[in-house]
Amino acid sequence: MGCSSSLPGRSSGRLGGLNSSESGGVPDAKNLRVKLVLLGDSGVGKSCIVLRFVRGQFDPTSKVTVGASFLSQTIALQDSTTVKFEIWDTAGQERYAALAPLYYRGAAVAVIVYDITNPDSFNKAQYWVKELQKHGSADIVMALVGNKADLHEKREVPAQDGLEYAEKQGMFFIETSAKTADNINQLFEEIGKRLPRPSSSSS
Amino acid sequence: MASSESSSSSAQSLTFYGFLDKMRNPASVDLVRSIKSFIVSFSFYSPYPENDGKRVQEFFSIFEVAIMDHQLWENSSMEEIDCSMEGLEKYVMTKLFSRTFASSPEDVKIDQEISEKIHLLQTFLRPDHLDIRPFLRNESSWLLAEKELQKINSFKAPREKLLCIMSCCKVINNLLLNASISEDHALGGADDFLPVLIYITIKANPPHLHSNLRYIQLYRRQSKLMSEAAYYFTNLVSAKSFIVDLTAESLSIDASEFEENMQAASLTNKGATVEPSLVLNPTLEEQKDVGPATALDEAEDGFGTSYPYMDAEPGELTVADVERLLSLYKDVVTKYTNLRRAP
Repeated sequence: MGCSSSLPGRSSGRLGGLNSSESGGVPDAKNLRVKLVLLGDSGVGKSCIVLRFVRGQFDPTSKVTVGASFLSQTIALQDSTTVKFEIWDTAGQERYAALAPLYYRGAAVAVIVYDITNPDSFNKAQYWVKELQKHGSADIVMALVGNKADLHEKREVPAQDGLEYAEKQGMFFIETSAKTADNINQLFEEIGKRLPRPSSSSS
Repeated sequence: MASSESSSSSAQSLTFYGFLDKMRNPASVDLVRSIKSFIVSFSFYSPYPENDGKRVQEFFSIFEVAIMDHQLWENSSMEEIDCSMEGLEKYVMTKLFSRTFASSPEDVKIDQEISEKIHLLQTFLRPDHLDIRPFLRNESSWLLAEKELQKINSFKAPREKLLCIMSCCKVINNLLLNASISEDHALGGADDFLPVLIYITIKANPPHLHSNLRYIQLYRRQSKLMSEAAYYFTNLVSAKSFIVDLTAESLSIDASEFEENMQAASLTNKGATVEPSLVLNPTLEEQKDVGPATALDEAEDGFGTSYPYMDAEPGELTVADVERLLSLYKDVVTKYTNLRRAP
């Protein structure tokens, strides 16, 4: 299923984190906390991308919450801003499509994932983009992600198609491989850079 | 739990007793008066959930500001302030419970409809109807998750109700993680999580599902219904919504087979229309209905809301209590068994 190499290690058995401690303090211009919703067909590797992102950060000071479907991770950007991503995974099966608004309501970021070996999943991604344009918050940051980029020989969606579509919609586009970790950090760093900063900035 | 704040002097202030203790202090007489008059003010109006929720949240915010400047909380850590606020939420909402929980006839009706629909679904729904992957079918984990969810009606405080949802989701999460480790399957995230939660919700059929969710949404302190808690809460809202709208097309099942099963189930159910959910709640309320006139000093003991029978005499019990007693008994045994198993 594509992310076998990013299975959680034994250490994630500690998973204590359901008693969500909000002790990170009040978010400010330098310490952003954002809700990020993941959308995309089932099987495109949404959770693998996140798992790779969360486990790939080796900053021992960062507090990582590992759940099967909710994860949070903090990154530091070059301008010394930190961004805590609270990542909401959604069930990608068709029968749950009508429930998506419950999840993307109030999200600052939407990451829409498809599988480059599966054209249907690319169509589904475009469906989500339209839905978010209609019903998501107006200033939502959207990223289109073509995952499983390591499977060159099985590719059915050319990178050019993804790029062109994303440009037309004014979104950020990237191809990733959760398996090799290619572009995973870049994805989240780029999102971090594109986040609107609170106007009450002290700078 | 945060281990950073471990000084023994502050331990007391981090419990519900700690809150009651502060309220007993003569210095907090104004605060006590404001709490009491706020609670009493609810008896002047008829229930109007949206508005009631707003009023309660406003009161929480005002109270928080008040204690931040208060001599009794001088030098208190954020954690201690937070615990006092949790105490306030528990106190106020326990007092206002019968006034705010399932307070509108529409809510009661929706609860009943959902419960009846689930009752029908229970007779034939199988994990493959929701395409739950075989390695996630683990009866003992599922049973544990069901029990956690069913406990939601043993509590009046929004925080404690929310914790039941969190515990249920935590059991499912552990199952998902363990299955992916031991069976070497990729972690499926929400694709796996939501179907299991829906299935467990159907198996558990927690009474007043809709009202519980609405109550938490309206009365849990807003700063606490965020992040991870909000995520798992949203999942249960979403499970409920899926069940409400569920038709044959929502499942991997033949449409005619679905209809036949639903009809057969409703025929069998017609004879026995004892709706357990209708019996449960009044019992709980009668047991613990503390009027607004009760002084704050009258401390609710630790088991109060969770184990309302601790002080009961055999003569006071009625047949209606049997079901609840049995479910509490099962809870205790499950907890005990799990504790014993823990390394």
